[in-house]
Amino acid sequence: MPSGPRPADVPRVRNVLRVFRVSAIVTGVFLLLLCVMMVLRYGLLVDIELNGPFGFLALTPRAQITGVDLSTAILIVHGWLYVVYLGCDFLLWRFVRFSFGRFLFFALGGIVPFLSFYFEFRIPAYVNDKVAQAESRVAVGAAA
Amino acid sequence: MSTSLSPGFWAVARRPRWIGALLLALAIAAGFSALGQWQLARSVASAPVDRADTETPIALTSLAEPGKAVTDTQLGRMVTVDGTLVVGDYVVLSNRLNAGTTGFWLVGHVSTDGGADLAVALGWAPTRAQAVAAEGSATIASQLIGRYLPSEPPDQPDVDKGVQSAASIPAFINQWSHFGGSAYGGYLVATAPVAGLDAIDSPAPSQEVSLNWLNVFYAAEWAIFAGFAIYLWYRLVKDVVEMEREDGAQTATVE
Repeated sequence: MPSGPRPADVPRVRNVLRVFRVSAIVTGVFLLLLCVMMVLRYGLLVDIELNGPFGFLALTPRAQITGVDLSTAILIVHGWLYVVYLGCDFLLWRFVRFSFGRFLFFALGGIVPFLSFYFEFRIPAYVNDKVAQAESRVAVGAAA
Repeated sequence: MSTSLSPGFWAVARRPRWIGALLLALAIAAGFSALGQWQLARSVASAPVDRADTETPIALTSLAEPGKAVTDTQLGRMVTVDGTLVVGDYVVLSNRLNAGTTGFWLVGHVSTDGGADLAVALGWAPTRAQAVAAEGSATIASQLIGRYLPSEPPDQPDVDKGVQSAASIPAFINQWSHFGGSAYGGYLVATAPVAGLDAIDSPAPSQEVSLNWLNVFYAAEWAIFAGFAIYLWYRLVKDVVEMEREDGAQTATVE
């Protein structure tokens, strides 16, 4: 079964990998912030308030917030960062032509805390492996 | 590449496995659409509720209690008050805009029939002298009609240099000669001004139905996700088609 990138796609793969690594780190950081925010909001029933009446940063019950609600901001920003992460995952899946299951597995990086920090180096290693295999296939094909 | 070795898109799509996958994709898309519907419903439901009629006057005693801050539902209501003006207890406020012109408010002290104290903005004048002059002849109907508004934050003595411009209930209480002990948390803007003053422009609170745009936006996102579920099915079938074509091509070259 053919898998691995087409030779023409290899430069694209490298570009996507660059964006992916940054995306994995930033999304991972916001996922950790999201965990903190969820514990505060649903465990302690407070949100993080920026620039409110109780100081620059304060923990305030949601209904009393007059400043910037950082908890909601974290929620929204993480959502968008995850969209970028998924976009990279999708492009890698298309260009490198790995299995759909693997695509779904890589998608977990934005949902499971700390996983994206592992993926940040593991996925590029895996993809570079595939690229090397594809290039050696081409070399063998050219030699034959 | 011979056609017998390369199945078309629909040949692959008709295989039971991919029909099953299509059903799954459709189910997921339906689920996402339902989530989008829910977000749309929320975008209306979580918008500020259209408030009831604020323009038909009701008795202040049935709306608010003395000593309590003005709540969201009380704000801007037209109310009626039975009471009498306390003679001599007037405050003139500076820097009050009326239809774009800066002027002065004459604020009276009404002792309600219920025994509570209420600040009432009696009218507007372009000069302080005119506002003060109206004090002497100020009379109110036994039943006063006006709009009930919340107390404003008091003036800062060091910032405002002794100019009183805020309709602040605590500040009024300090200035009144007689205070019964329980004042309403808001003040009234009288609909009919006392003789010699202009009526204070006090529009009804705005009641636009505002959508919650965050929810509208999420609804749009779910619609896109639903489309993407179908696209993924198409892409996966296409992958199989391409794979089998490449396999066929390789087999063909080997033969």
